[in-house]
Amino acid sequence: MKLRQLATGLACVGATLALPPAFAADPILIGASITQSPPGSVVQGTQVKDGMEILKDMVNAKGGVLGRQIKVLYEDNQGIPEKGRAATEKLISKDKVVALAGGHQSSVCLAEIEVAHRYKVPYVNTNCWSDDVRKRGYPEVFNTSPYNTLVSSSMATTLATMGVKRVVAFAENTDYGIGQAKLTGELLKQKAPNIEYKYETLDRASKDFTAAILPLRANPPDVIVMSMLPPAAYIVMNQVYEQGLAPSSKTILYDGGGLADYPDFWQNVKEGGKYLLSFALYHPAMPQTQLAKDIAAEYKKRTGSDVNRLVLQAADSLHLVIEGIKQAKSTEPDKVGAAMRTMKFESLRGVSNFSTQQGYSFQQWLDIPFVNYELTAEKQPVGQTVLIQAPGQKFDPAKIVRPK
Amino acid sequence: MLRLSLDLLANGLIYGCFYALMAVGLAMIFGVLKIVNFAHGEFFMIGAYTYVLVALNFSVSPWLALPCAAIGGAALGWIVERLLMRPLYAGYASWGFMKDEYAVVVTFGLSLLLVNLVDKVVGPYSYKGPALIETSRFALGPVMLTGQKAIATVVAVFIMIALALFLKKSVWGKQIQAVAQNRLGASLAGIDATRTTSLIFAISGMLAALSGALLAPLVNPSPDVGSFPAIKSYVIVVLGGMGSVWGAMIAALIVGVSEAFFSVYGSYDYRDAFGLAILVLVLLLRPQGLLGQKGRDV
Amino acid sequence: MKAGPASLWRDRLAFDARAAVLLCAVLAALPLVITGPYAQGIILVSMYFAILSLAWNALAGYTGQFSLAPAAFAMLGGYTTALLDFYWHVPLVLAIPAAIVSTALLGLVLGKLVLNLSGPYLSLTTLAFAEIARVVIGNSHEFTRGDQGMHVATLTESRLAYYYIFLAALVLVLAVLYFMLRGRLGRFMTAVRDDAIGAESRGIDVVRVKMIVFCTSCAICGLAGSLYGTFSQLVSPELGLLQQTGLVLAMVVIGGMGSLTGSVVGALLVYLGSEWLRELGNVQVIVFALLVILFARWVPGGLWSAAVARIGRKQA
Repeated sequence: MKLRQLATGLACVGATLALPPAFAADPILIGASITQSPPGSVVQGTQVKDGMEILKDMVNAKGGVLGRQIKVLYEDNQGIPEKGRAATEKLISKDKVVALAGGHQSSVCLAEIEVAHRYKVPYVNTNCWSDDVRKRGYPEVFNTSPYNTLVSSSMATTLATMGVKRVVAFAENTDYGIGQAKLTGELLKQKAPNIEYKYETLDRASKDFTAAILPLRANPPDVIVMSMLPPAAYIVMNQVYEQGLAPSSKTILYDGGGLADYPDFWQNVKEGGKYLLSFALYHPAMPQTQLAKDIAAEYKKRTGSDVNRLVLQAADSLHLVIEGIKQAKSTEPDKVGAAMRTMKFESLRGVSNFSTQQGYSFQQWLDIPFVNYELTAEKQPVGQTVLIQAPGQKFDPAKIVRPK
Repeated sequence: MLRLSLDLLANGLIYGCFYALMAVGLAMIFGVLKIVNFAHGEFFMIGAYTYVLVALNFSVSPWLALPCAAIGGAALGWIVERLLMRPLYAGYASWGFMKDEYAVVVTFGLSLLLVNLVDKVVGPYSYKGPALIETSRFALGPVMLTGQKAIATVVAVFIMIALALFLKKSVWGKQIQAVAQNRLGASLAGIDATRTTSLIFAISGMLAALSGALLAPLVNPSPDVGSFPAIKSYVIVVLGGMGSVWGAMIAALIVGVSEAFFSVYGSYDYRDAFGLAILVLVLLLRPQGLLGQKGRDV
Repeated sequence: MKAGPASLWRDRLAFDARAAVLLCAVLAALPLVITGPYAQGIILVSMYFAILSLAWNALAGYTGQFSLAPAAFAMLGGYTTALLDFYWHVPLVLAIPAAIVSTALLGLVLGKLVLNLSGPYLSLTTLAFAEIARVVIGNSHEFTRGDQGMHVATLTESRLAYYYIFLAALVLVLAVLYFMLRGRLGRFMTAVRDDAIGAESRGIDVVRVKMIVFCTSCAICGLAGSLYGTFSQLVSPELGLLQQTGLVLAMVVIGGMGSLTGSVVGALLVYLGSEWLRELGNVQVIVFALLVILFARWVPGGLWSAAVARIGRKQA
């Protein structure tokens, strides 16, 4: 008797264990159209992917969202608007993603938001700085990225404070570069009309910029501003350095593209990077949330490099989408979008409310923190740079270090 | 003004020397096979990458990495000829009258393959090649140079002189000239035209690869770095005269310098169109170029 | 009197035409089975490439003018429409024909330029023309927004409607080319390809033949580019990249240069194939490039001639 009961009991337990697990739900799909091959900026695309992957893994480790795992589908747009449009089409109409994030090149963004708008799928702008992306006023577009008006007005203020006379800017021939260079010039004219400013448009696919650089040797300007992305930006820096133009005792090299914290920065510019003055969106001295610190630690573990602002921006974009899904308790794109618009949300950088004003501020986080720092030694980690403008402080030109 | 002109002259000549290395190889191929080679830029790229990777990963001196790049380029050239170019003249009947189409399609495919293979295997990041000499910038009169630019130019000139001597004096060099002039006649005279063609491709690949290696510290190669020197090479080869090695060398210097001047005094934005316009004008007005021979099929 | 080379040519052309009609019928019926907008979009874009392939085949395959400019003319057509729409708000019903006219005229210019050239010289000149066009458009930021591209109006929001618009264009182009090839012009074209000097000596007006074919081919490319611009609502210099021309060449070579249907088949297969290969991720382009090389090297005459040979063997 007892044996039969035991056997039955064991059989029941065994049967329960052998049953297939409760229906494993499909993963939630989020789309990311990024640059993974030239002519776009591959180093940017890689940072974006790394940031999103780290956050995705963290979220999935804690059980995912709504009981389902998160999966990010990456498409390569090569930095070309037409390919971005096609990639976004595919992600939305074939893969049926809940939302898109990760856009990091302005010209491509402008093409992609059209598709997102047509299909009414939320699109989180991770790193497209051009004001035009906001000015279109599409409710599907969530601008968590720095924007040209922020950067240009800060740069214009900085230039005015430096008390210089002549400024030349090198801008890449994209919405970001030309937008930033033009806007900086306009704002500078308002703040300091006696400063002479002009910008030169450079082809980001070119490998030789000496034709634009050599004419400056006869009468070097006080500041050379760079509104360019790698790899062209690195070549410009090298060639400007080789010609003895900047950084020099007379001419400051000022970067408005956030180059200095990319992992391949030093291997590409070597001694040309010393004394670079940089507008920057990340510095260890800035206040960060615990989640940001965890991401930084994980990034260091995975890649061996210190975290940079683009990794955090990318993670933040994914964070926004995930929170939106949580709040909406749904994966319907329009419900998620509605939640993202109105919910209370804490971003990695502490900024969290979307402005509703039309124009460059539409659905944009307005108060993104920034600093200005200067690199004073080769291979210098960001934490050891000289802060010329500490978080929340004014720009102090007296702190600028010049080469002999 | 004078200083700027000297700057432009110096830079134009320096870059012209590097372009010459690339263009000479292309001129040789043109002379022999009369085909457009879409993949020539990729030999440049492979050379640049071989140089950078050997020097960085095996911690050898850049001076050793340079011949590695040369060998890599030569090997690639030889393989391409052996596998892909044979049909053009080894009696491959169906393609007979369409060899131009074949050459373009096959070399286009090859170019696409090489660029994406490197992108996949090595990664899409750009690398700044290690300089041959660590001297940073120094002034030579009013002109600013770097150690790399100066040394690389000397090396390039040296290679070109060696090549010219090779073509003129050595047995192989004379065979190459014979095949270039008249393939049928040369083989009738007992020269192995097929093997000579292999040699030409190998040399062409080697020269382009060296050009890439010498320029690696200056242009931070990425997988698509081959496209800009490729177009320039065509312009140079046409200007110099298809098949003329001396013509290519001289034309390279002319193109280097005139591009430099045009981009500053003419228009910076359209400087690429300038070189191409030269190509069109030469083909229309003087198709044999500076030193080429007037051929029947022009 | 009707037997001989002329009727042999017409027979082959008729076979070709019948195959083309069949293919178009299949394409017309496909949306009944393939209803998703994404898949329809893929076939639509391959029809765009099919039109370009036909245009290039007419110029290079049939007339021996080995131009490297088809993608550039598609770009020029697209930009004509885009500029007219952007600056003067010209309605598309006028802006699209305007693209055809402008590219036809530019085709005449190019034809004139290369009149006395052949072989690699001709190819290089057309390549230079194509690159100059792309560089000029790409660098005129003030007018064309350069690399960032221009926004274009659209004919319709419906994906299905655009599918049939492109199919209609494909049928139109096939009809135009068929009638060109069927008459004496067709044989003049191949005469110019095979032996231009000989043709001249037999009284064929080689100049006129070349000009007509250049004009037509470039106009067809312009039409394709213009339609595509209105479909994707974006034109960029990327349309005219040499790589795109290479794609067209590959399609014609793989499909077979000796026939119209071969070009369409080549375009469909290559483009659909590259989309399918997308599943493999980054390796997709590598596999595609390998296929191009293998086909060119070991399957000359393309799929068409291989298929015809098969059918011929069956009938024999």
